[in-house]
Formats: sequence, structure tokens, C-alpha cells
Amino acid sequence: MTDTAEPYVDAGHAVDNASLALVPGNAPPVATTVTYDRILRARSEPQNWLTYYGAYDGQRYSALDQINTGNVRRLKPEWVFQCGAVGLEAGATTYAFEAAPVVVDGVMFVTGWDGWAWALDAATGQELWRHKHAIPFDVSLCCGNVNRGVAVAHGKVFYVTQNAHILALDAATGKRVWDKTYGDVRAGESATVAPLIIKDKVIVGSSGGEFGVRGHLDAFDIETGEHAWRCYTVPKPGEPGSDTWAADGEAWTRGGANCWLTGTYDPELNLLYVGTGNPAPDFDGEVRPGDNLYTDSLVAVDPDTGQIRFHYQYNPHDVWDYDSISEHILFDLDGRKALAHFDKNGYCFILDRTNGDLIRVFPFVDRITWGEISPEGQVTAKVYPDKEGEPVHFWPGPAGGKEWTHAAYSPKTGLLYCPVQDVGATATRRRREFKEGIPYWGAGVAVDLSDALGSVTAFDPATGREAWRWRNETPMCSSVLATAGDLVFAGAPTGEFNALDARTGELLWQFQCGSGHHSSPTTYSIDGRQYIAVPSGWGGWIEGFNPGMLGAPHGAALFAFALPD
Amino acid sequence: MATPTDERSALLSEIGLDKQNDATLGRVLATGRIGRAEDGPDGRMHARIRIPPDELVFEPSVLVLPHGGDVDLELINDDQNTHCALLPNNGDYQFIWLVNHSRGTATLNLDGPGYYWYSSPTGNDEGRGLTGAIVVLGDVPPEARLDRPPQPRP
Repeated sequence: MTDTAEPYVDAGHAVDNASLALVPGNAPPVATTVTYDRILRARSEPQNWLTYYGAYDGQRYSALDQINTGNVRRLKPEWVFQCGAVGLEAGATTYAFEAAPVVVDGVMFVTGWDGWAWALDAATGQELWRHKHAIPFDVSLCCGNVNRGVAVAHGKVFYVTQNAHILALDAATGKRVWDKTYGDVRAGESATVAPLIIKDKVIVGSSGGEFGVRGHLDAFDIETGEHAWRCYTVPKPGEPGSDTWAADGEAWTRGGANCWLTGTYDPELNLLYVGTGNPAPDFDGEVRPGDNLYTDSLVAVDPDTGQIRFHYQYNPHDVWDYDSISEHILFDLDGRKALAHFDKNGYCFILDRTNGDLIRVFPFVDRITWGEISPEGQVTAKVYPDKEGEPVHFWPGPAGGKEWTHAAYSPKTGLLYCPVQDVGATATRRRREFKEGIPYWGAGVAVDLSDALGSVTAFDPATGREAWRWRNETPMCSSVLATAGDLVFAGAPTGEFNALDARTGELLWQFQCGSGHHSSPTTYSIDGRQYIAVPSGWGGWIEGFNPGMLGAPHGAALFAFALPD
Repeated sequence: MATPTDERSALLSEIGLDKQNDATLGRVLATGRIGRAEDGPDGRMHARIRIPPDELVFEPSVLVLPHGGDVDLELINDDQNTHCALLPNNGDYQFIWLVNHSRGTATLNLDGPGYYWYSSPTGNDEGRGLTGAIVVLGDVPPEARLDRPPQPRP
């Protein structure tokens, strides 16, 4: 009390910030009927976008065709949802709006940066509830304060936080049901992945590959949060694959191979397909001799047990930071169960997804100088930072010919659509001692500020031939969306949201969203009206994938587009 | 040249970085005192934070919690101007108005380890000095840690 000796005015008790924003705090209970069986048949309800990729196959394709090549020029913004920064946040200048909006029967569930999750009325954009997990300001984030989205099932919304928690929220209220920690922030671990529901489990992966951690997948019981299994993607001594690490060293303890993107799933084979990240240190391979399994690999995982059934390593002994985290798109190729993967190394791999056999490999970006991969899959490294202090320039740079932003596949056209980043980098090996929680790159890296190009390129997976290319003056760094309206949607770093003809690549429509795109657009319909939703909020690891756009406007808006009534 | 730790407070005062409208317009953040929360027998923590007159600072400006969990805060505005507090909390930010000579409370749930900023989001209280930190000590649960031998730290 002050020297006035007057009693204090009663200021009461602090209240939820949402109570000062007319947020109702409840949403229709649409998620109670979302089950594993329903997610299995997600293709049968195109009005919804039930899971991260729209369906387990990762095709990012929708059968909705109300918006099509004939009318897309009339597409207009229907609503915008915005949420700016609040106070001092981790990665205050690197936050990005990266999520893929999930939509269930008229309710949209989407995450932002810094622990945000929202339920929105998908027809109007009205905020129905919010959940804000408090994120430590000092959390280790290699590439920005980001999150890629939610999973929805059994009346709950699941998402991860930058300090490596997985949360289950009541989908009707946004209130926390359970909260589990699955990573060690003191070790430099974090989490950015959108969870995936398989049967009675929710599956997530860890981030932190630039800090010398040991990557892992974790599964939790949907209802209770009980931990079901952990799958390390770097084996301990004596485990399968451990012979690809030095027998007497410590390299495996900090080997990387983080699974920071959502996997795809084949229910018939009961296999979860996950891409793993770079080894650590990223660029100093001399301290970790060997192929370094299971870094930069496809791992096919039994989702019931977490056991790795088989793998395919795209970049043995990677020294370019070529994570292979990118999606594995499941599709049928001439009656064969296949998958497609666009790797950071600039090659697209078509594999037999029953056993990991290579069917075809072909380059998808013009400039590849780090080495080459033969049609048989033989990898030959040519240019890499192996001498201390000696700069080495290579294409693609460490963000790759394509980074995490997703490609799409249209079963209607039979084409794959890839956002391409044609940008190089210079790495100079600089050995450093490993210290827990400190970045562990083993090089100084500068990505080219100029002479960087981009495109959306369509490929025929049956031949590897390029079908068309829509060129952009700067790398394309957002996911693409394919629809039965014969459209491919793709946002640009300069803010335009574009609609391309899926058969020719012709630009048919665009809208300037005011900030660059580094997210995953989705589509849904309500009462027969189709919407296209896209978060716009430039940020993340711009210095890696497009440093020529480091000064571009930031933003934090979610747009929904529709044809006029 | 680096400044030895024991000279920091004296140098802040000498230059005038720890008060309003002296060296700078406001007060450089986190130049106030450091305080510890009390840890109750049930694991619930308690702390008092004041806004002294004409200093535009939360005292302590760095509040240290021994571990993650629930903390009950008593917030007292001894200043002759109105301020507020927007505080981190798992679930949603917690907001409270603090008119002149007022006292309120807040309950926060925070993870550890790590630290969080909070502030008085009115005018530019945040820039003038009314931005405080809450530090949470501890480690993540054993089951969340990596299966590997102990590693060197900085």
C-alpha cells in the first residue's frame, strides 16, 4: 500500500483476453462424429477437408468442381480472418502463417504461430473460440515461429506447440483436455508438425535438426493422451542401421533425422510414410562418417507399434542440408501402388510403396550442381563443403528445389504439381564443438540473394516428363492445391494467390493478399457453395528459401474465396 | 568492453537507463529487480508484482518461478496513472485493468523451462518500461527427454 493509506481500488481478477473480443467460446459439436473410419473415407465427403492433406494419400486434391476453369475469373474474397502479433513473441520477425485449414461440416480449425489455435465459422470467418498456449520467448526455433495445423477426431482438436507439447482440445469449446510434453526444449527440440490421426492414436514428429538432436516420432492415445510408442529415426548402437554411424563415436546421439512434416498413410498396407530431416551437423560430414541412417529418408512405419518396416534413403551422408521431410504422395501408377516424393536435392522419386523399390527418378529443377542421381538411383556427390574455410557454391541451396510446402496430384489429369525453388547457396565449412541447445550447422551459409527463380511445374509421373511450367520471377514457397475444377492454386511470395489451368499452366486468376504465401491452401463447401481458404503471412526461414524477399511485408491473414452468390 | 556483472546496476544508474526520461525517454527493459515466487506446499506458486510511482516498471521486473505449473499473482498499481497487464497463460492471455492505486489478482499456468514477457498494453507503456519477464526454471519431464548419454552444454 502506498503512503496515502487509502485502501486500494479492487481491480478484480484477470480475465481471458478472448472475453474482450466478443468471441463466443463455443462451436457446433461437428468433431464428435469425426472418426478414423470417416477420415479413411475423406474422399467421399469433399465438402470437408478432414485431415492435413485432405486425405491420407497426401494428394492435396479435392473433387469439388464448382470453381473451375470456366468461372474462376469471378472468384472473390468472401471473408478475411486476421490476428496480429501480441506483445513480445518468440521469433518476433520470423513468424509465419503456415497452416492448412481443416474444415468439418462448416467449422474451420486452424493454427497460427506462437501457440494459437482457432475455430472459425467457415462460411463467415467469425471466430468461434481461440486457444493460446503460452510459448517461451527463448524457445529454440531454427526457422521461425510457425505451426502447420491441426488434426481433428473424436470431438477433439490436436495440435503441437513450439515448446514441444501436444495438446488435445475440446473441439466445441477450445478448452484443454490433455497436454503432453514430447520433446526437450533444453536440447533444442521444438514442434511444428500437424498431427495425424491413425486408428486410436495421434502421431507427431519432432523438430530441432539444426540443434543436434535425435529425431523421433511419437504416438499418443486419442482419448487419454497416454504415450503409446516412440520411434527414433537415428538408431542406437546395435540397432538396425547403426552400422551407418561410426561405431565408437557420439555422432548418433546428435544425428538429426527429425520428422517435422505430417506423414501419409496407406490403410491397406497399414504403413505410415514419413520423410526424415537432415543429419547434424548439417554441412560438416567429416564428424559423422557413414550413410547416417535414417536421415534424409523415407521411413515406412507400422503405426500400431512404431517399428520401421523399410526405408529408402534419398541423400546418403547428406552435407547440403537436404532434408527429405517433404510429403510422400500416394497414388496408383499402372496398377502399382506408388508414391511420389519431391526431394530437396532437386529430384522427384517415384517408389513402389509396398517395399520402397525405385520406379523412377527425374530432376524437377533446372539447376542441380551438388551431384547427380542416375536413373537407377545411384547418388554421386560432386560439390560439397569438405574443406575447412573454403566456400562452395551449389544448387539447389539448403532449402532445396522444393522445401516443406507441398506438391499435389490430380487423379483427374494424372499430373503432379510442384512448387519449385531454383536458388543456390554458398556454404563454408566451419567446424564447431557440439553444445546442447546451440545451433549445430558446421558451416557458414549464405543463400543467393539474386538469380533465384521459381515455378509451378506439372509432371507426368508415368514418364517423368514435364507437362507444363508456370514461371515466377521468384521461388515458389507455398503448397499447391489441385481440384476437380481443373485448377491448381498456388500462392506467391509477392502476395498473389494464383489459379492456374491444371492442364496447361495458364494463369487464369489472381488476388493480391498483401503478404507472401508460405502455407497450404485448402478447399471445402457449405450448403453447396465452394470456398478456397489460404493463410497469407510471409515469414519462416526466408533467408533459406528466398532471401531476395527477406524485406517483403509480413502479415497474418486467412482469406476465404468463393464465387459470387 | 564488457561490463562486469557487479557493476551493471551502478552503470545503469550512472547512465540513467533505469529511470524515466533520463538517458532515454523510457526505461530500458528488464533493468528492475529480480524476485522469486514462493512455492506452496501443494506446488502452487505465489508472487506479488508492483508498479511503483513514476517508474513505469513492474517490480520485480523479472519474476522467477521454481518450476512450471500454476502461479497466483497479486498485482498492485502504486502509480498515479492507469496501467494494465496482459499476461501469458496456457489457454489464453490473462488481462486486467489496473487503475491508479488498485490491487488485483491473476492466475497463470505456464510451462517450464523458458521465459515469457508480459506487459501493460496501453499507449506505449510497453516501450517505456512496463514490460516484465516471468522465468520458469526446471526441466521437461523425464519421459520427454532424448534417449542418449548426457551432452555437453554451453
